[in-house]
Amino acid sequence: MNLSGIFVAAKPEWLPSVVAELNALPGVEVHQVDEATGRIVVVQEAADIPAEIEGLKRIKALPHVVTAEMVYHYLADDRQVYDDLPAELVEQDSPACAVPAYLND
Amino acid sequence: MGLSRRDFLKTSIAASTAATVGMPVAKQAAAAVKASEAGWQWDKAVCRFCGTGCGIMVATKDGQLVATKGDPDAPVNRGLNCVKGYFNGKIQSGKDRLTQPLMRMKDGKFDKKGQFVPVTWEQAFDEMERQFRRVYAEKGPTGIAMLASAQKTIQEGYAFNKLFKAGWRSNNIDPNARNCMASAVAAFYSVFGTDEPAGNYDDIEYADTMVLWGANMAEMHPILWSRVTNRRLGHKAARVINLTTFRNMSSDIADLEIIFKPQTDLAIQNYIAREIIARNAVNWDFVNKHCVFATGPYDIGYGMRPTDKFAFPAEKDVQERERRVKLDKYEAIAQRRTEGEIVEQKNTANPAAHWLITFEDFKKAVEPYTLDFVAELAKGDPDEPLEQFKAKLKQLADHYIDPQRKVVSFWTMGFNQSVRGTWVNEQCYMNHLLLGKQSQPGNGAFSLTGQPSACGTAREVGVFCHRLPADRLIPNPAHRAFTEKQWNLPPKTLNPQIGSFYAKILRDLEDGSVKWLWVAVNNPFQSHPNINHWLKAARELDNFVVVSEAYPGVSAKVADVILPSAMIFEKWGSYGNAERRTQHWRQQVMPPGQARADIWQAMEFSKRFKIKDFWGEQKVPGLKAEGYEDGKLPSVLDEAVKMGYSPEDSLYKVLFATPANLKVRWPDAVAKGHPNHVATLLGDGWFPEKALWQEYVPFTRGDGKDLADFDVYHGDKVRGLKWPVVDGKETGWRFNEQYDPYVKKGAGFEFYGKLFKAIPTGDLDKVTDPKPVSVAGKAKIFFRPYAAPVEQPDANYDLWFCTGRVLEHWHTGTMTRRVPELHRAVPAAVLWMHPDDAKARGLKRNDLAWVESRRGKVQIRVETGGRNAMPRGYTYAPFFDEGVLVNRICIDAACPISKESDYKKSAVKVYKA
Ligand code: SF4
Repeated sequence: MNLSGIFVAAKPEWLPSVVAELNALPGVEVHQVDEATGRIVVVQEAADIPAEIEGLKRIKALPHVVTAEMVYHYLADDRQVYDDLPAELVEQDSPACAVPAYLND
Repeated sequence: MGLSRRDFLKTSIAASTAATVGMPVAKQAAAAVKASEAGWQWDKAVCRFCGTGCGIMVATKDGQLVATKGDPDAPVNRGLNCVKGYFNGKIQSGKDRLTQPLMRMKDGKFDKKGQFVPVTWEQAFDEMERQFRRVYAEKGPTGIAMLASAQKTIQEGYAFNKLFKAGWRSNNIDPNARNCMASAVAAFYSVFGTDEPAGNYDDIEYADTMVLWGANMAEMHPILWSRVTNRRLGHKAARVINLTTFRNMSSDIADLEIIFKPQTDLAIQNYIAREIIARNAVNWDFVNKHCVFATGPYDIGYGMRPTDKFAFPAEKDVQERERRVKLDKYEAIAQRRTEGEIVEQKNTANPAAHWLITFEDFKKAVEPYTLDFVAELAKGDPDEPLEQFKAKLKQLADHYIDPQRKVVSFWTMGFNQSVRGTWVNEQCYMNHLLLGKQSQPGNGAFSLTGQPSACGTAREVGVFCHRLPADRLIPNPAHRAFTEKQWNLPPKTLNPQIGSFYAKILRDLEDGSVKWLWVAVNNPFQSHPNINHWLKAARELDNFVVVSEAYPGVSAKVADVILPSAMIFEKWGSYGNAERRTQHWRQQVMPPGQARADIWQAMEFSKRFKIKDFWGEQKVPGLKAEGYEDGKLPSVLDEAVKMGYSPEDSLYKVLFATPANLKVRWPDAVAKGHPNHVATLLGDGWFPEKALWQEYVPFTRGDGKDLADFDVYHGDKVRGLKWPVVDGKETGWRFNEQYDPYVKKGAGFEFYGKLFKAIPTGDLDKVTDPKPVSVAGKAKIFFRPYAAPVEQPDANYDLWFCTGRVLEHWHTGTMTRRVPELHRAVPAAVLWMHPDDAKARGLKRNDLAWVESRRGKVQIRVETGGRNAMPRGYTYAPFFDEGVLVNRICIDAACPISKESDYKKSAVKVYKA
């Protein structure tokens, strides 16, 4: 599971519609809005990191969004993201030590 | 994880995010943050990736990284991070992280043809030492080399520089920054006499027009780009102009997009200069007080080998141009010669020579660069009407010249990686200086950097084959003497002969002049152009290659020994970004397994050598310098003994653990409980990163490069400081009296850099009076002509090929490719090309194609859409993918002045695979 805090800035006059569109995106929750300046804080939850980056791209592509960047990233439960390595990088099955197969092929 | 815990976490993350960007946080949310972050220790640090130098905050708990966030107090990024920044917390824990030394072995012994087997540090160093002694005995100081990095920490750069130059008396240490920033440096030297930009990032918030010259900031400097975007949207008059050879993401918000033909930026710059003069817009007050005019030779070659002995047969026709060039129609006009004239390249040995000219000569030189001439030459999209292109060039000139507009020019690799990279940098200053739009908030030519410490480490510490710390140069006897004094070396310990630059180190490896090579924090066997040559050279039986790495990449694969390195937050360090901002961080976590910081590797290895191994007489082929016997470095051992050294002293003791440095003790309160694995492993109770920093700073002080003390940068409130730091105050704009304490009172502006400030006088073709004239305090406005690229598409290789980075990946991908999510976002390099060009070759999107040049070929998938749009005749592929080694095709021509490779202009053919 991936949790990140994303800062979004929208043109203030479009704030209500941007907030509605953000909330409609999968895994995205608007947590805080500053009406005067158009600043928004959202938290995004995504199954994995590609989904999370896709999510950020979707936010950036919304009409009237000026800026959207990740600010905060929670790492603690992320250890397993490395399980799915590109094939050429998988370790050799040797008990002595991990020499990546890539080096010796 | 339960639902409520998750909701709780989300509240806390939202509150942290809000606080980071300066939004108010509700009491309840603040309490959530407090509870969920219980036991965390937050500390400031800096991003590992690009030259923007964003601040990040790193949280650890029980020795593990638990969270990262943008640093709200960092003036560079004000809490934001880009996608790459967001991976800072993850790059260290990839599954194939190298955690122990590996060596090629057969039957229990080192064998060049063996397989990699884990060994101890002791075994690895034993073999390195054995091979080092073999090569040093045979070849002397020029037989060994290091390919260093602009991603090393400042202290690491300093330690390796000292080990090579003072200990081993070899100047063969050169960084990958050579291929990134060298042209910028050469122009800073020739124009201002001192390295690094006058301005800073705040220029963005003052500028009216921001011009990008070959800098796709949207992808390569995303956080600066967000500042540019904000300025564009928040300031009514603000405009963005994107000059590029193909449409890229930066065009999305550009008001004006100019697609030009490769290398014709040289002509466009001269067109602007001609317009400035024609419209009577020269700022004479500024120019008369602060500038002089200059030029240099045109027949300087293309930075290739002087011989074609090592060239592949197909390379020989281009190689020939290193010796003589037939001028094409445009060059003839641009250089006031005749079409078809054969020009012998007579100034390849001294390409940087330059001399004073008059304004009248300068004016005569830019006269041929009329709108008609330049538009015909420079139009890059064959499908764009000429009149439209002309109108755009005119608008570009309008923006520069308009007295109401403040103008910043940004550039990176599009300028620097060019066979005329130094010239085009100089031309950019030319226009800013003519207009007096330089060194003021919102006005200035601003060279951006690609790597996180190109400035701090490579340039400021002088980790180049011709440099010493703080703008000192190897050939300058006074600079060597100063360095010897600072380093407590006997006079003449330093080698006065410039070493081999980055490309030459690889060429030396190929022709047998270098046989022992150490590579650290870069990946030359993937990233240097024309790699088919270098891959073969690395595997020559006589050559020994050591690679310090965190992950297995192409360079590790061709190595003989691989040393596992600690990564950014596993060690103490500091970086210097593109706006002269120096930032330090503490070690946050321990390196995994036996991985250890490069600085430890340098110092631990140095323990194996004594000064008598190197400080006796040494042969240096070709050495010629005043006060030295030809071909020889003198013995300095007698002098060393007089200074109190013993010939038996180790390099470690003489260079690193000096009596002064041993007084800087570890542990130190500045650590606030953070570990230091280097100090612990060395075990003699000193604090190497702090001691070496304090040893380094005197080089910078009093010379316009002043750095502050170690503890200052670690202050809780400090977020890096822009040098020169004088009386505790940083400097926003150099050379401007209002901001820079080095400028004489009443001068207004003063270009006080000291290098190359006494030059001869001449006309546009030659020196007429060799007597050096002082131009102290002045900047030089150079005339540099248009010159054609050394290789251009022809009937056989009929397309342009250009390479670079993409947003999601960092350089060769050794770090970012470990993070599977990034790997998937851009799964493998693709070749962008125009749909018509694809169609004409029977290709469509996603087809597999061969791209072939004179030097080699690779297979790659075709992309005709996506984020980049090629004009017809042009192709682009990034170089991050080790499965598609695009540097097999790139030419290794370079700017003859800066020796920076031209990655942007190769000729290729593309056909179905
Ligand atoms: S812009 Fe550069 S320094 Fe800033 S977060 Fe992104 S990669 Fe790091």
